[in-house]
Amino acid sequence: MGGTSSKLPKDLLSEYQELTFLTKQEILLAHKIFSELQGRENGPYGSRVSMEKVLTLPELKSNPFRKRICHVFSTSDMKDGSLSFEDFLDLLSAFSDSATLEIKSHYAFRIFDFDDDGTLDGRDLEKLVNCLTGETDDTRLTAEEMRQLISNILEESDIDKDGTVNLSEFQHVISRSPDFVSSFKIVL
Amino acid sequence: MELEEFNNHVYQDYPSTYDSQHSLRLRTVPAQDTSAVHFDWASQPKDAEDSDEPRNLRELPLHMGLKKAVRQVQQMRAPVVSSSWNIRQSQTFRRFCEVAKNILGYLVLWKRGIQMIGGHFGGGVQSYFFFLRFLVILNFLSSLLIIGFVLIPSIVFRSITFNSTIALTFNLTGKETCLEYDPKPDALMVFYTYFLDLVSGTGFMEYSYLFYGFYNNSLILSNGFSYNIPLAYLFTAAFYFLFCLICMIIRMGGTARLVVVTGRGAAGGYSMQVFTGWDHGLQGDRATKLKQNNLRHRLKVDLEEEKIKKKAASLTLGQTVSLYSLRVFLHLVVLVLIGATFYGIAQATQFSQSRETTGFEGLLLQYLPSMVITASNFVVPLLCDKIALLEKYSPSTTVILALLRAVFLRLVSLGVLLYTLWEQITCKGVRENCSPCDYNHDQYKCWETRVGQEMYKLTLFDFLITIATLILVEFPRRIVVDHCSSKLIQWVGRQEFSVAPNVLALVYSQTVVWTGALFCPLLPIINTVKFIFFYYCKKITLFQNCQPATRNFRSTTSNFFFLLVLLFGWMLSSMVLLYSVAKIHPSYGCGPFRFYTAMWEVVPGAIKMLNGTSKEFLFYVGSQKFSIPLFIFSCVLLCYVSALMSVYGKSVALLKSQCKLEQRDKQFLVRQIEELNATMQKEQCEPQQPQREPESFFHTETQWNQHYNYAFEPNEDPRPY
Repeated sequence: MGGTSSKLPKDLLSEYQELTFLTKQEILLAHKIFSELQGRENGPYGSRVSMEKVLTLPELKSNPFRKRICHVFSTSDMKDGSLSFEDFLDLLSAFSDSATLEIKSHYAFRIFDFDDDGTLDGRDLEKLVNCLTGETDDTRLTAEEMRQLISNILEESDIDKDGTVNLSEFQHVISRSPDFVSSFKIVL
Repeated sequence: MELEEFNNHVYQDYPSTYDSQHSLRLRTVPAQDTSAVHFDWASQPKDAEDSDEPRNLRELPLHMGLKKAVRQVQQMRAPVVSSSWNIRQSQTFRRFCEVAKNILGYLVLWKRGIQMIGGHFGGGVQSYFFFLRFLVILNFLSSLLIIGFVLIPSIVFRSITFNSTIALTFNLTGKETCLEYDPKPDALMVFYTYFLDLVSGTGFMEYSYLFYGFYNNSLILSNGFSYNIPLAYLFTAAFYFLFCLICMIIRMGGTARLVVVTGRGAAGGYSMQVFTGWDHGLQGDRATKLKQNNLRHRLKVDLEEEKIKKKAASLTLGQTVSLYSLRVFLHLVVLVLIGATFYGIAQATQFSQSRETTGFEGLLLQYLPSMVITASNFVVPLLCDKIALLEKYSPSTTVILALLRAVFLRLVSLGVLLYTLWEQITCKGVRENCSPCDYNHDQYKCWETRVGQEMYKLTLFDFLITIATLILVEFPRRIVVDHCSSKLIQWVGRQEFSVAPNVLALVYSQTVVWTGALFCPLLPIINTVKFIFFYYCKKITLFQNCQPATRNFRSTTSNFFFLLVLLFGWMLSSMVLLYSVAKIHPSYGCGPFRFYTAMWEVVPGAIKMLNGTSKEFLFYVGSQKFSIPLFIFSCVLLCYVSALMSVYGKSVALLKSQCKLEQRDKQFLVRQIEELNATMQKEQCEPQQPQREPESFFHTETQWNQHYNYAFEPNEDPRPY
């Protein structure tokens, strides 16, 4: 508060405006919220915030994909999902109003790729469906239904019939959905 | 060039798993690679325009560190580009666009509120509020139009002149009775008649700017400035309709394109549900759990539907016949129900129009048509829902059918009301019955005002019913559910905000306003205020009383459907406008069109007063020499656009099959390489059998020829030795 609040330098602000889809107000708001997460007012924005702290944000707290989102956007060497301020801006940029369909579908694919092998195979799809329906035992689909669902999904979207969904096939499915851009949105 | 070096450098650090240039090399998939770059830099043109580069930077799916490095590289390259004046100009223009976008972001109405609603209740409910906001803005802009061109001139001219300056060249013998119209109220009024008049539009309200009857047919001519009030009135009404049509079409354009591109656009396959099903804007555990329940429910229902369909395909002939006959019977039942409603509305309108009582009884009588319409709009859809359960359609078909029936009911019941009014005003269309005034003068001394009053009453009643439902039904329901723990009450549960009936209510109100705008010019203003009230009331009830819907509602195709229904309403009201402007004789005693045989007559009269060239131009535009070529041209344009659409569809199918072929080729070639490697290794162990290789070579060559895929030269020997 007052004199000790750290301000984002103007040149960094304009650089971030160029490199992300966020507006000036959104970047400043993100800076404020990130500083609060760090717990210090004028901490250097080069330091990282741990994943647990990031997941206390109300926008991410109940999202079933929250851990995957942190892992995808984190550039930490220790692969612990911690986010720097620039990672945080990348996250908000990909989830913002003006991000393009290509960016959103690219990051959606990486979020759904639970084992990070570049394709969505049956195991990834099963984990994805469990996230969508709920993790507890009484909210999952039965094994039979899951099998039927996964085979239907692969039949519909696996164009080259290699048993997995790659990025282009994923983007093809996404491009036919008119609601994706508006549902892949997180606004602070 | 440094870009190429950087290209290679990037490839070495972040090996891509699916780069097309190295497709034949068998690569082990790196399991730990979290920052795989899927961006083919080679595809970027070397001389990219400067204005594209910042956009391209944002669109790179890289993290910030890499993007900064790319930016540095691009900035180092920049001095090579020719004119710096161009760069500076495009940069300032871009900055101006961003500032303008920021400012416009502040001006958007209710942006934060609707965002919060979307976060807690999902996209379906949010689409209702987007629709409401669109209607508020539409009504506000049209009321500005009407105020500017009709209301303010009327006020100004009324205070200046008092005589109508249009020459009375009409023969009025025998029509003195038609001129009788005395709506001025008594000077002394009891208090409750004041309230009754306010609510029913009679008494002191009748002879005011609210209704058609108050406006004069003044034509002001003063040194070079002329203003023809009747012409302004008519043209403002016409432009109001055109303006609404253009706004709706513009809004539909974007959604229509999406619907066409995505094919049927309806319930989309399983992959669409799973990949695009989650709404990341949702906040809070309750909303998340509900969304998860929702998704699970839909997936289970779809999987079960598939099983049922497989079973239904195996129904016996007898069962299919009985199912179809049941459906036909239920359709007939629904039609009978709707027909009975229409009859009831017609009777109620006739009854209320033919009696003239005062006091509270009179008020009830006047509101009788509105009450019947509202009651039927409430009861009949409930019955239709119960009937739909028996029809055993798939869930998606049931929803669409229910919506279509509700739309039909609402709009056509309004049409029945208008038809009954028309019957009474024009004595069932037979002019002779209505002498001497060509309209029913005994009942309707000023029929336009009466029609305006009916629309005014419908609007007001709709508003009152919504507020009353809010206060008397929804709040008590929540209080009961929260404090009483009996099983029955908990099973009924909190109110669910169902989107479709609410949207249809909005469409109905807007259609009423459009129909009444010619006869009650201030109705759009009243409607703007009413819809603003609706926004705040619905928002309050949403957050206080409602739970998120368990049944999902696809936002974008539904948006298109809402606008389509609104368009139907517009067409209904424009038919009413055209008919009353062209065919029915305006009242003699009131309004700006008295003494004309039809409202339209103002326009030819005004055209006669124009000078020569304008008259010739207008005659030319209206003639066949102009309209037939225009018609042919628009036909050609239509054919061109539909041909383009089919070509795009075909090219999509072609690209899909090409994709399949390429992958098959890839797999085949990989298998070939494995085989050749195996034979090579075998050969190294057993060098005595060279005959098998030429056979396999010829075999593979014929197979390549079959594929017509000359990735290599056909004569090239793929073996490395």
